[in-house]
Amino acid sequence: MHRMNGKTLAMNRRTFLRGTGVALALPWFETFSAFGAKQEGVPKRFLSVYHPDGVGLPLKSDPAWEDWSWFPRGGEKDFVLTKVLDVLEPLRNDITIYSGLSHPAARQVHGHSNADQYLTGANIGGSGPYKNTISVDQAYAEHIGDQTRHASLVMSTNGGIGGPRGAQTQSFNREGRPIPALNRPRQIFEMLFVTSGKDAAERLARSKSALDLLIENTRSLKRQLSSRDQETLAHYLDAVRDTEVKLAKAQRWIDTPVPSVDTSRLHLDAEPKEAKLYFQTMYELIYLAFLSDSTRVATFQLGRENGEGPHDLLSLAVGLPGAHGLTHAVKKPGGWQNLGTYNRYQAEEFGRFVQRLRETQEPAGQGNMLDNTFAMHGSASSSFHLSRNYPIISAGGKNLGFKNGRYLKFGKGNEDNQAGAGIDSDAGWTGKIQAEELPLSNLFVTVLQRLGVETNAFGGVSGTLERV
Amino acid sequence: MYFPMTVLFRLMVLSLFAGVSLASVLGQETPVSLEIAKDQGRQKSRFLKPGAGKEKAADAVPDANVADFQKVVQPLLARSCAGCHGEKKSEGRLRLDKLDADLVKGADVERWREIYNALIKAEMPPDDSKEAPLTEEARGVIVQWLGEEMHKASMVRRGNQDQSSFRRLTKYEYNYALQDLLGLDFSFAGKLPPDTASEDGFKNRSDLLQMSAMQFQSYREIGLSALKRAVVIGERPKPVTYVISMADQMKTALAAKDAKRFERGDENEKKYVNAQHLLNRETGAGVQIPQGQAQPTDKVLFGEASPVSPEAWVLPASGEMKLNLDRFLPDEGVMRVRIRAGRSSMNPDEYAGLRLIFSAHTSNNANFSQTISTRDVQVTASAEQPEFVHFDIPLSDIQRNPFRKLTTTFPRRDEFLHIRNISNAFSGPERMKVMVDQVEITAPFYEEWPPKSHTNIFFESPNRADESVYGREVVGRFLRRVWRRTVAPDEVGAFMGLFAKYRPGFATFEEAMVEVLATALATPEFLYLSPRQGPVVEEKAGNRIDAFELANRLAVFLWASLPDEALIAQAESGAIRRPEVLSAQVKRMLADPRSKRFSQQFVDQWLGLERINSVTHIKDASLMDAMLEEPVAVFEEVLRNNGSVMDFLDSSYAVVNERLAVHYGIPKVFGPHFRRVAVEPRHGRGGMLTCAAMLAINSDGKDSHPVKRGVWLLQRMLHDPPPPPPPNVPEVDLTDPEILKMTLKERIVNHRNQPACASCHSRIDPWGIAFENFDALGAYRTQVNSKPVDASSELFNRQKLAGVDGLKRYLLTERQDQFAQAMVHKLTAYALGRPLGFGDRSDIERLTLELRQRGDRLVDLIQLIVSSDIFNAKQ
Repeated sequence: MHRMNGKTLAMNRRTFLRGTGVALALPWFETFSAFGAKQEGVPKRFLSVYHPDGVGLPLKSDPAWEDWSWFPRGGEKDFVLTKVLDVLEPLRNDITIYSGLSHPAARQVHGHSNADQYLTGANIGGSGPYKNTISVDQAYAEHIGDQTRHASLVMSTNGGIGGPRGAQTQSFNREGRPIPALNRPRQIFEMLFVTSGKDAAERLARSKSALDLLIENTRSLKRQLSSRDQETLAHYLDAVRDTEVKLAKAQRWIDTPVPSVDTSRLHLDAEPKEAKLYFQTMYELIYLAFLSDSTRVATFQLGRENGEGPHDLLSLAVGLPGAHGLTHAVKKPGGWQNLGTYNRYQAEEFGRFVQRLRETQEPAGQGNMLDNTFAMHGSASSSFHLSRNYPIISAGGKNLGFKNGRYLKFGKGNEDNQAGAGIDSDAGWTGKIQAEELPLSNLFVTVLQRLGVETNAFGGVSGTLERV
Repeated sequence: MYFPMTVLFRLMVLSLFAGVSLASVLGQETPVSLEIAKDQGRQKSRFLKPGAGKEKAADAVPDANVADFQKVVQPLLARSCAGCHGEKKSEGRLRLDKLDADLVKGADVERWREIYNALIKAEMPPDDSKEAPLTEEARGVIVQWLGEEMHKASMVRRGNQDQSSFRRLTKYEYNYALQDLLGLDFSFAGKLPPDTASEDGFKNRSDLLQMSAMQFQSYREIGLSALKRAVVIGERPKPVTYVISMADQMKTALAAKDAKRFERGDENEKKYVNAQHLLNRETGAGVQIPQGQAQPTDKVLFGEASPVSPEAWVLPASGEMKLNLDRFLPDEGVMRVRIRAGRSSMNPDEYAGLRLIFSAHTSNNANFSQTISTRDVQVTASAEQPEFVHFDIPLSDIQRNPFRKLTTTFPRRDEFLHIRNISNAFSGPERMKVMVDQVEITAPFYEEWPPKSHTNIFFESPNRADESVYGREVVGRFLRRVWRRTVAPDEVGAFMGLFAKYRPGFATFEEAMVEVLATALATPEFLYLSPRQGPVVEEKAGNRIDAFELANRLAVFLWASLPDEALIAQAESGAIRRPEVLSAQVKRMLADPRSKRFSQQFVDQWLGLERINSVTHIKDASLMDAMLEEPVAVFEEVLRNNGSVMDFLDSSYAVVNERLAVHYGIPKVFGPHFRRVAVEPRHGRGGMLTCAAMLAINSDGKDSHPVKRGVWLLQRMLHDPPPPPPPNVPEVDLTDPEILKMTLKERIVNHRNQPACASCHSRIDPWGIAFENFDALGAYRTQVNSKPVDASSELFNRQKLAGVDGLKRYLLTERQDQFAQAMVHKLTAYALGRPLGFGDRSDIERLTLELRQRGDRLVDLIQLIVSSDIFNAKQ
């Protein structure tokens, strides 16, 4: 019976794809992997999109409050979206908006440091030695990653890893080391969808021998190094070992051709300063990676905290200069509106992606892709550099147990989101914590559990989030 | 990092107050010229006083200033705070009388930090306090003392982390290393993630260069593909060749129905002569033409000298020859473009350079184009005796028409090569034009077969027939270059083991060997600046690095790459240890074109030039290029002449090209190359401070930004970075109508007058305001918003700075030692590729002393650094 199901699922997927005109050559591997112990039913997916610099949070007394305050107004079901998020109105029943969540360790750390800990909850502090921990996406990737060609897809506009407290990636491995993010659409596309060649198996065997030699060579070098330098070299050795693990995994995919996909919406040479094309292409790559089940885990960081550089020009998409500067300029004429307009644009692109998942039938199962995907969008600051009350939207995940169409307020003492509102100086983040908030990691525990990871704690925090 | 400056800074403040009265008296008179200021300032150097350098080196760790605490701070605390935080009451479990006032060695730094925060936010004392009120002045005194002490404490912590120079190559070093190793001028490292720059701008810092599995994987892929580009397998490929004769082009153009012809002396000639056209120089007949056609030919004309034809394509300034090459260029290999060209006149004030652009039309309304030549090649021959210039373009590295292989004709499959004349000859009746009479294009192009990059690896040997013997030779020679040291036989053996495994999977020896060699390119000894010793261990090495490591440090410092065979051989023989050999090597290396990378990288990183990519207000690409080039050209000028580093503060010359000279209002500079030009005080130029790039990157996109400029000066030039802003800095409230009315300078003053901001900004802003005569593009101005520029400011020590001239005069008179030490610090940190800590302090002090005593010369400084203990020590 099980066997039959496996075949039927795969056939459905092929039939469907042909019907929609999406050229997707399904690997036979899929049908085999359907017998795998972990692979039960349809894929469950996780996406996190991170934007730096927080959102606009004017005071009620400010004329801009009415339109340009990020958080909705009203109750759980009857909430009203302001101009910042009204682009998500058509998706209202597929999204949840959260307030009152943050990572406790970061609440009095400057927002510029906090892209590093948004998905990890680690106590990275604001100065001194730096240590991070595994991010929630990687915790899920560890669990499910071997089911797909790529354990995860890690993307950012800046690429690489950045520096401690200046992350340019959202993903951190088990050792707390950053996983470099890809930022060039063409590179991502080629990794996902360009075949790695017919002689991959031979290459793999050669790689294994080469790695053995490199490990031996590294060991003999190590003997000549001071203990401090040995530590530096250990990073290299870790990299070689990680590569060994990847090779073992790659072995399974060797005979499986990469899927071919519809590339018509891709602009593979788009750069961040062509923000609209770039956004659209990056989201489309996530969509195609999910659709082809190349991975089930993706993170995407827009820009970096406190930065200059090309990423900071993403706001050119709405005709505004320097995204980071927008948060500093809220008190200038039109400042709240400008920041809100940029946040609105981010929400719009996220919404477009969510919409696309909703309109696509789940290739290997019932319903649409969105119902099997938990996609979140947020930042680790709300108001100016204030690492509290993270502005978070999640979408989808109906089949995982998420009930959408709600505005969920957590914590106490800040029901109207006025704590820290209207600040444009750093007095905010060093100031007293007036409101009680819940750890964001409670949400992560809920998410992990619903994705099938057996855990009751994440980032040093136990327990799930009620009501979600 | 900050250590020498604070101590020095204290000294300066003392000496300044002594010197100010003199300066202000002088200020009443005509100020001295900058040249005289330079001499006067030199006289004041503490390094040049009799007996300098003889005294015991100052303490490596700065002392806590407990004396001031007892004298000034403690009484204030006792008066206004002790009532709640003392013996009787200890609110918040804080007892001020129990805190250790030594923040450097004591255990109460965190408590003091809380007190500092409470004070600057004016949270304490509370309004309802029964104690004596704390005046703003008193608060300032406490905050100032605490700020300095906390700064020292943080430096001590940083200084205690001992840093190592063991690090991987940076992205750019890796790229240069591959270029030098393989003898190929391609950019290889593109797919590596960018390296993170440190706070002071350096990208080669050991503590920031990380490694990951993905990065490692990239190294392996890049290494293999680079080797595959260096090595050729099989027969010489038959190239695609285009020979474009202007006689043919003219025939075709004249045959067109709507041809825009002219004859010598007719009306049409006047109309078309200053646009691009084809001309028969014998008859004077011509035809104006938008673009040409070319098809591959079987003619083996390439490289042969054919007679100059009377027909020529005439390119006026900015004119271009656009050639449709259809779809026949191969995917890979080098495309060589040879162009026979001459100038219509030889006026030395006019120049013409050729630039290649590649383009395609990818849909009805879309096309792309890209400059594919790395620099413009100047046309220097006359039209009567034209000469060939050539370009080599790697076809796999440029944007190609993705549709070129379609079997259908839509979208368009053709590709275009544009040859553009970049010239200043825009006016005058006799404006110079470039005459091109022949163009030859061939791809893939090989100078010789097999190419040198191949024979470098697979060289001639009597043992070629025996794969295992020859294999050992190949591996041995390659490893020596990759590892930059003597290689032991068993090390070669390990790679031959790999070769034995690989060989059956490949048709040829070379293909299998390339895979083996690619593994060598992934070894840590290639990717890292390895301190591994050669097989022969030096005796009595102690803390001194191996001779090979010295060669490596030299190469990465001065070439940003690997040592060449000459250096390796000097290391192998140990000769490099001899001071005269080391000094001769430095001279040789600086004379080598590879030293351009040193100038480029060091100056880019030192001055933070990369930030120019983040500003959007420089719209003119040629201006932006010139801006970026100028500081490097200034550095090279000083380097070439072993000039004084004080020239970076001010010089009687500028190093500019025509574009920049126009920007600066310096007359009579023609051509795109940079050259030394004498400047007068009215130009306000000379040195690094007033390079347009510095002024532009420290602008806010529309106008100058004095705070950014001040911070830049302190951080980059004086190595005295201001502390980061304290936590409660209020943003300037631009919704306040009173503030909106203010000028920028008034706003800054207003901001500075707020107590929370004053302590830092009084040390930053005046420096920046002195640059107010320069706008956001670095152009000189006397008016802003139709008001006269006010570039006068007053430093916190009441020193008045009258614009940039006054600023330079002040730096030259009073701050030479600080700048010299900053220069030593920056260059040493770059040379070592690690942050400098307390332990390095005395070396920096010693190097500064020697630099100053030898006359501040740049090459001397480099020689001093490479022969210093700090450069030759492990770590």
